[in-house]
Amino acid sequence: MLRHEVVVVGAGLAGQRAALAAVEAGRDVAIVTKLHPLRSHSGAAQGGINAAIGPNDSIDAHTYDTVKGSDYLGDQDAIEFFCREAGPTVIEMEHFGTIFSRAEDGTLAQRPFGGAGFPRTVYAADRTGLALLQGLWERLGSERFTLYEEWELARIVVRDGRVQGVVALDRRTGDIQGVAAKAVIIATGGAGRIYGRTTNAHSCTGDGMAVAYRAGAFLKDMEFVQFHPTALLEGGILVTEAARGEGGILKNAQGERFMSRYAPKVLELASRDVVARAIMTEIQEGRGFPGPYGPYVHLELMHLGREKIESRLQEICDLCRSFAGMDPVTAPIPISPAQHYMMGGVGSNIQGETNIPGLYAAGEAACVSIHGANRLGGNSLMETLVFGKSAGAAAAAYAEKAGSTSVAQSDLDEVGASFRAWLSRADGEDPSALRTELQQTMDRYVNIFRTEADLAEGLRRVRAIKQRFARVRVVDQSKVFNLNLSDAIETEHMIDLAEAIIVGGYARTESRGAHFRTDFPKRDDAKWMKHTLAQCTPTGPVLSYLPVTMTRWEPKERVY
Amino acid sequence: MAESTVAVPFDVYRFQPGKDSAPRYQRYTLNLAPHTPVLTGLLQIRAEIDPSLGLRYSCRSAICGSCAMQINSKSRLACETQVGPELERHGRIVIEPMRNQPVLRDLVVDQSPFWREYQKIEPHLKLDPRRPMPAGQPTVMTPAQVERFKETPRCIACAACYSACPAAEADPGFPGPMALAKLYRFVVDPRDTAHQERLVRIQPNGLWTCLRCHLCTEACPKDVRPSERIRDLKEMAIAVQGATEHGSKHAEGFKENLKSRGQLHEMKLVRATFGITGTLGQIGQGIRVWRKKPEIMKRPRKIEGMDELEKIYAALDTPPKEER
Repeated sequence: MLRHEVVVVGAGLAGQRAALAAVEAGRDVAIVTKLHPLRSHSGAAQGGINAAIGPNDSIDAHTYDTVKGSDYLGDQDAIEFFCREAGPTVIEMEHFGTIFSRAEDGTLAQRPFGGAGFPRTVYAADRTGLALLQGLWERLGSERFTLYEEWELARIVVRDGRVQGVVALDRRTGDIQGVAAKAVIIATGGAGRIYGRTTNAHSCTGDGMAVAYRAGAFLKDMEFVQFHPTALLEGGILVTEAARGEGGILKNAQGERFMSRYAPKVLELASRDVVARAIMTEIQEGRGFPGPYGPYVHLELMHLGREKIESRLQEICDLCRSFAGMDPVTAPIPISPAQHYMMGGVGSNIQGETNIPGLYAAGEAACVSIHGANRLGGNSLMETLVFGKSAGAAAAAYAEKAGSTSVAQSDLDEVGASFRAWLSRADGEDPSALRTELQQTMDRYVNIFRTEADLAEGLRRVRAIKQRFARVRVVDQSKVFNLNLSDAIETEHMIDLAEAIIVGGYARTESRGAHFRTDFPKRDDAKWMKHTLAQCTPTGPVLSYLPVTMTRWEPKERVY
Repeated sequence: MAESTVAVPFDVYRFQPGKDSAPRYQRYTLNLAPHTPVLTGLLQIRAEIDPSLGLRYSCRSAICGSCAMQINSKSRLACETQVGPELERHGRIVIEPMRNQPVLRDLVVDQSPFWREYQKIEPHLKLDPRRPMPAGQPTVMTPAQVERFKETPRCIACAACYSACPAAEADPGFPGPMALAKLYRFVVDPRDTAHQERLVRIQPNGLWTCLRCHLCTEACPKDVRPSERIRDLKEMAIAVQGATEHGSKHAEGFKENLKSRGQLHEMKLVRATFGITGTLGQIGQGIRVWRKKPEIMKRPRKIEGMDELEKIYAALDTPPKEER
């Protein structure tokens, strides 16, 4: 059996930063990841990373904007910590080798972003995630640790009241591997593929969230799903918020700059939930353009001029030209909202600790919570680094003191037995067909505008899919790169997460941030200023609630 | 308003070493709109026809670098290649794994040769303890300094360049275009303090193996232009160290050789590249060439317009205006 002191699952920014912190603390560290670290979805982040390092900006202003953006569901102690750490973190990443865009005087350039009072977003053109991922991988790559690449998480082993390690499938050999660990850090990112129309990579299937949930960890605030206002085409390829930060404007089919009716002060730079709802309202009231993949509105950049568009939004230019066959220098970009980010995740605190001793979480897979009901653009890249580091350090300190742990042969056998059951069926459900049905269900019933009736119908359908999954069949019998088996593993994860999202959203009879109930359109602080916790039981998620931590900011009505 | 579709024949390479005796091509025909990405077609094959097809993919927006493969013999990203133009040009879509990396299954290759070469160039900032980073502050880097990175920060390590590279095929010790473009990225980074050391190390370790065929630049989906960065590295290496390798001596010899008469004097070029003793080793080759083309051994005449040539050389010898 393999054995390490700290095992990090996931090798995006949060996982790598956690691994670096644990290595620096002197621990024996391994990373288990289903993608090569440089292929992680962190690399797809475009617009930038927030830090209040500008001359007129302040940590308090960043904190206030984040609290307000969260619609007062974020924990204010965590947000204060986060905003304090942001400045040193961006400087550290620069020292690691990240190549940021610069202002004329050679300092880090910053651009305006939605929901922010100052131009606070440090960036590298419109490929900030890639720049950070490269910089961090270059830094981590010169340290000693073990990389288990293209391994897929199957189980977190919890025994005697604490974490013992993980069980994973090695995609290249088909072997089921156990790795004993004193501490496990979940940094597997989001679960956007629960939806059909999402900006997320195909790999964003919420593996760590689901596996931790089944191991007994609480999922927190799962009903808060962010829809990015501007996504391209049928599949929902991301068009960065930086397009609006740099001066891009939104227009409906009547040529009207409609944001003036929804956010008269800041227009396109309102927070994402507000802009996404505005676009959907325009479309639902018939002021969208008809399109082959459904109605859309226009994102116009033309007035910014070729030079600015091609230098600051280079990747967007390429995406529009090669994927959508249009040029943003000369024509408006057809966009509509798409699933983008999970505010919810494995319930954790500032140190990344969960309710299971030895289990930690960081990044999109975790819910600290700093984003509350709605995340501000530019805060997620920073979150991966700030909380990746604190989780890595905390896990290392825990592992140093913890007694020895073990993964039993029976843990591997149980995982193997369920795979064999799927592989040996002569007839059964196709995992990718079930996944498609799940995605269609979430797109239709659990989207930007929600109602009790829709959520009830969504839940009924997801549970029917869950029942059918019990008869799932894996056709491919190969050991090597059996993606059919991966389909089944990931689909099972996504079904459980979808159920938690809907049950949480059904119970929450108010509208807050990204969770908008047309049947309860007002925020209800008296009843609902609290975090949802979902616990896994054989009959589905059981909910409980946790108070929000407030420090200095009393809830106010949120207007932009 | 849905777009009309056409029948698109895919011929997909299928092979599992250790299980299949030989690779085969499997035909799948899909009805697709012409703008459909090749990756979408392959995923449709997996979902609807054959779930056993092996491939890597993730972001589907040309940023994660997972889905590089050969599409009608060109190394490209499947997510940003549309079926329409491929069909028009080739009548079908032949899908094969990348080259220069062993196949694990179907379109999935073992990328360890590619990553090993990347590691060899020491892809991290090397710092001199006597020149620490500014405490608590980012480094100051002017837009002009950022400009010097050229497009190298756009590299997504997809390995399309490595797949397209004939030098990597002929010489497994060749770092490959991506690793060299990465090296360039460190050599122009004002924070890195090992520029000279890096250049001196790469001269005898593959820098001059590049054939300047530019297939890497053609293959690169992010316009990193690896062959141009390799050319830049060659110039910088000669500038810091002079010509130490056959490759660099040949380049320098070529330049000097042309300067005097405007035409190549092949005999002199051989001597400039290999030195006097080395030239002796080339005698056999020399005799073969002389038999075929005796005039090549003669000292060429001066060309007309030598004054123009002298102007070109004067311009070449003026150092470029850039801060260092």
